[in-house]
Amino acid sequence: MIEKYAPIVGEQEIDGIVKIAEKLKGVSVLHVNSTKAGGGVAEILNRMVPLMKDLGINVDWKVIRGDSEFFNVTKAFHNSLQNGAGNLTDEHFKIYDKWQEINSTEVPLDYDVMFIHDPQPAGLVKYRKNNTWIWRCHIDISNPYPPTWKFLSQYVSQYKSMIISVPSFGRDDMEIPQFIIPPSIDPLSVKNSQIHDVTVRRVLKKYDIKEDKPIITQVSRFDRAKDPIGVIKAFKLTRNHVDSQLVYVGSPASDDPEGEIVYNEVVKEVDGEKDIHLLMLPPGSDLEINAFQRASSLVMQKSIKEGFGLTVSEALWKERPVIGGNTGGIPLQVIHGVTGYLVDSVEGASHYMTFLLKNKEYGSLLGSRGKEHVRQNFLITRELRDYLLTILYSMGKSL
Amino acid sequence: MDIYSYGKGIPFVFQGAYYPKKYSKLKATNLVQLADGIAKADKYSIFYHMFHPIFTSHLVTEDLPNDFAVWIDQSLGLRELAEKVADLPGAEPKTAEDVRKDLFNVISSYKSVREGLREFVFVSCYPIVYDTGKRASTLAEFLDTLATVDPRSVVWHFVSKRILGMSPKNDFSLWLEENFGLKDLSSKLSSIDPQTYTSEEKLREDLIENLEEELL
Repeated sequence: MIEKYAPIVGEQEIDGIVKIAEKLKGVSVLHVNSTKAGGGVAEILNRMVPLMKDLGINVDWKVIRGDSEFFNVTKAFHNSLQNGAGNLTDEHFKIYDKWQEINSTEVPLDYDVMFIHDPQPAGLVKYRKNNTWIWRCHIDISNPYPPTWKFLSQYVSQYKSMIISVPSFGRDDMEIPQFIIPPSIDPLSVKNSQIHDVTVRRVLKKYDIKEDKPIITQVSRFDRAKDPIGVIKAFKLTRNHVDSQLVYVGSPASDDPEGEIVYNEVVKEVDGEKDIHLLMLPPGSDLEINAFQRASSLVMQKSIKEGFGLTVSEALWKERPVIGGNTGGIPLQVIHGVTGYLVDSVEGASHYMTFLLKNKEYGSLLGSRGKEHVRQNFLITRELRDYLLTILYSMGKSL
Repeated sequence: MDIYSYGKGIPFVFQGAYYPKKYSKLKATNLVQLADGIAKADKYSIFYHMFHPIFTSHLVTEDLPNDFAVWIDQSLGLRELAEKVADLPGAEPKTAEDVRKDLFNVISSYKSVREGLREFVFVSCYPIVYDTGKRASTLAEFLDTLATVDPRSVVWHFVSKRILGMSPKNDFSLWLEENFGLKDLSSKLSSIDPQTYTSEEKLREDLIENLEEELL
């Protein structure tokens, strides 16, 4: 399975991964997160776990359980950690702890390495055995709402090491090592592999999107951090200059109770505009997303707060220029004027939308540079290698 | 020179290294803080920010081949200083400590109170060394292996060990001198400055070109 990546990243890269994995033969690893589908974490685990198994590592993946009350609390955690504001009380923290305790009896905690993703299951470390715990944080925790971080950090400090996606997400109040590992996309997944033009046309027709009018796409949850309203406003400004269509592709996630509220706000902003297509696709609509990205003249990720923004790498991998919000991991992927454009406002987004729609050849140049940039830095093989090295380090092993 | 001779019989063992990155807790938003961070950062951090762009996977633009120069240009808008920092020498016998001094002197002598658009976050790293399994006993084998070995190995032996103070000069020159007495060729390789490279393959090509000129 890992060999299939050799034509893309080179045999030496694959050989290196195999050698590192050999040092972890016999080691058991359990990934734990809060959703099986929806969002970048579940997506990458769906691909990463089989790859680690293929390398001979005894790896499994468990999803924690919770009711709507718990996921409302963890969504509030998520927002307050990323936005620096919140309204969490002791009652919320008790609900969080209650579900950590319930999950501690259902999730096996005795693997050699417990690889815990994001805040939702972070409290499981309270029930740790004498094994190695690594916390993989996918969100921006650099400016959190202090009460939430104070509560969460009591757990994080019990880990052997933690992983952040971007250097600026680092915490000065943590004594454990903080490894910097950007996430990645899988070039062989249904979402990112090459597809035939006829499939692109079929998908466009299915969703009543015109082939002969330039398409701008943003693929994101209906989440305020992704600024869907800003995307709609920017598109409306661009429409004054270039006749085009906007496709906003979202999907519901079981751990995101706010999605429906934001979706309704966006519908109101669209106000019946026929060239704006709001699509709520079910999890697993990877082929459709692949088709929309490939059909696009440019791709947006106009986030105002972002963990990493893997949709940027997805679009660049398909050689599409990206206009991205200047936040989180987006500036690592969008190098301004090289692989796309970074923006801080609706007007800025509209300006570069118009520029790229009017200068398609230049957009193609940015897109082709973007593909190479992603090949070098943001493919799953690199993240897999970094994870294996972190496990080696955290277990005190060497190559 | 007989390129098939074994010299003194010391084989060259090709190793490589990965450099997992760690958050260092040092940040800067202006030049004073940047100079202060450069003074305090560990040698791995200086090494990382000055030399990681040698790998093709670098995250900087091509014309400013180190992180400090890119930040000074893009975040502070001080192009002239950025160009100076971009061109700081990194050839032998400099180590991370020498590079740190040069950086500190250039940056601390420049007067500007501008605040950056974004923070500069110092990243540290630590090398995890591995054996590539490749060996060379003759100059012919060395040339063939250098041309095909994992590029991480080229950077480890030619750049990282010397900058990190683990070797007085690059390993290739040391071996050529010690095993074959090739002092001139050794000096020729030593004069290549890796600081301005933004591709490990270009570095490899230049090394091979120098070896080929003398040996073939």
